Amino acid sequence: MSAVLLIAGDSIRALLHQRLLVALMLVTLGLTVLFSVLLTEAKEWVAQNLSNAGLDQTGRLDAKNLNQMRTGIDMAGSFFMAGFYWFTALGGTVVTLFICASAVATDIRRGTIRIVLAKPVSRAQFLLGKYCGAVAVMFGYSLLIGIALVLFAYANELNLNLAARYAPWLMFCHNLMVGSVALLLSLLIHPLLAAVVAYFASATFLSSPNSLYSILPSHDRINVFTLIMAGKLITPADIALLTLYAFVVTAIFLLLALWRFHTKELI
Amino acid sequence: MSVIRTEDLGKTYKGGTAALRGLDLTVNEAEVFGFLGPNGAGKSTTIQLLLNFLRPSTGKAYLFDQPVSCPETRSRLGYLPESVNLHSYYSGHRLLELYGGLLGIRRAARSRQAREVLERVGLLEAGGQTVSTYSKGMLQRLGLAQALLNDPDLLILDEPTSNLDPVARRDFRDILLELKASGKTVFICSHILSEVESVCDRVAILQQGNLNQVGTLEELSAARGCRIAVGDLTAEALEALAATAARVALERGVATIVCADEKMRREVEQVLQQNGVAIERVEIEKQSLEEIFFAAIGREETQ
Repeated sequence: MSAVLLIAGDSIRALLHQRLLVALMLVTLGLTVLFSVLLTEAKEWVAQNLSNAGLDQTGRLDAKNLNQMRTGIDMAGSFFMAGFYWFTALGGTVVTLFICASAVATDIRRGTIRIVLAKPVSRAQFLLGKYCGAVAVMFGYSLLIGIALVLFAYANELNLNLAARYAPWLMFCHNLMVGSVALLLSLLIHPLLAAVVAYFASATFLSSPNSLYSILPSHDRINVFTLIMAGKLITPADIALLTLYAFVVTAIFLLLALWRFHTKELI
Repeated sequence: MSVIRTEDLGKTYKGGTAALRGLDLTVNEAEVFGFLGPNGAGKSTTIQLLLNFLRPSTGKAYLFDQPVSCPETRSRLGYLPESVNLHSYYSGHRLLELYGGLLGIRRAARSRQAREVLERVGLLEAGGQTVSTYSKGMLQRLGLAQALLNDPDLLILDEPTSNLDPVARRDFRDILLELKASGKTVFICSHILSEVESVCDRVAILQQGNLNQVGTLEELSAARGCRIAVGDLTAEALEALAATAARVALERGVATIVCADEKMRREVEQVLQQNGVAIERVEIEKQSLEEIFFAAIGREETQ
């Protein structure tokens, strides 16, 4: 356990020293802030237009127009919230793919793995340590997204439903699955290709039924964008079930990655 | 107890390249063992098999009489790779602390042990610097420091002095001699034959994946040839010697029979005994490791 934690700590340090990754995270967060500001402005503009459209000939709001306006603003709110999540989830996925596809592959390429594995560290400990480090960075990113969400909702006076409130957690669960797929693939093919394939696995298998549904994780269930856009009301039990689903899928892919890494030759 | 043991160890890479064929080797406790061979002979492949980085195509390898796949064996091992690639974002001292943790050294002792090995390799002052600022020679020293961190019973060194200047090489040789004196086992793979010759108890010469020779320098030298000084040679003895292919010469007034190898020496001794010729002196030809090495390689190439 101690070796796993030490490798995880080193992995976090290594990731935070990767300028490209830090730049990617900063750019994503910066764009998220910019996007949320633009959305806020757009929402105000839509609300103003709806408000103007709702005035009767005397310049007063009649009851019918008032209801229509409220519905329109609610729809616009959902749309903006979904847009916010779509953008931040995309950024999170890219960051995750970058982290997980390069977690072990970079050490193999640089040769730093040789000195570590010449110590009494098993390959399983090394891989789990690397994945735990990647998960910690992903969790940190999700936490920042959560803070951004609270600020965004506060600035727009949005009333968050359960799906929206748990969206950062669901995005984190989604990233756990995508990350484990990318990690496995990076042990089989070039890390860049692994990231691309893992991305399309997450993007393509959004809808079910799918012929590969039974062997690949269905990200549709955790797609916050769809949940919010569809206005689906989910319960705490749903959140727990989705979390369990993500953890099981992640565990399966991690086991496959462990098996692959155990048999891999470190040339 | 054998520290390193291989049985019919072989490795064939994808594509059919046989890098190592049926290696049977034993390295004993407290032995400094030189592992030699030209580029592509299979030295690095052997080391990678011993460290479980590669899977053998045939045979087995053991460290401390346990399969190399057992991680516990590596707690008694120090390894310095040919290209020292270290985590460049740490300071030298902090990196050694990390490796100390992986070696299971208690937190309280890590810093002290890191300082000790840094001092031993002459990097104490630079221990606070980030590894990315180190020169090649400093990296090599730091690599050696991490290999010595757990006071290992077995040290595997792959081209350890390739990036070192003459002063650092001398320091390195002194460290090796210290290790030898303290009864550690060292498995050293090097192209610098004089360096190997000065510290090794036994050497193995590998060529094209096959073990060409193994033994002490004296044994390998004896295998190459000797000079037998004898008293009076009778005509019958001379005639019998002609059949052995040994060369008979008169050196400083003494009849001397020059034998090319151990087999010829045994034949000559038998002939001399049968003809009642007394052996006055046997001089094993003193050959440098370089001569032994090139003779071994040359002989193989002509076959």
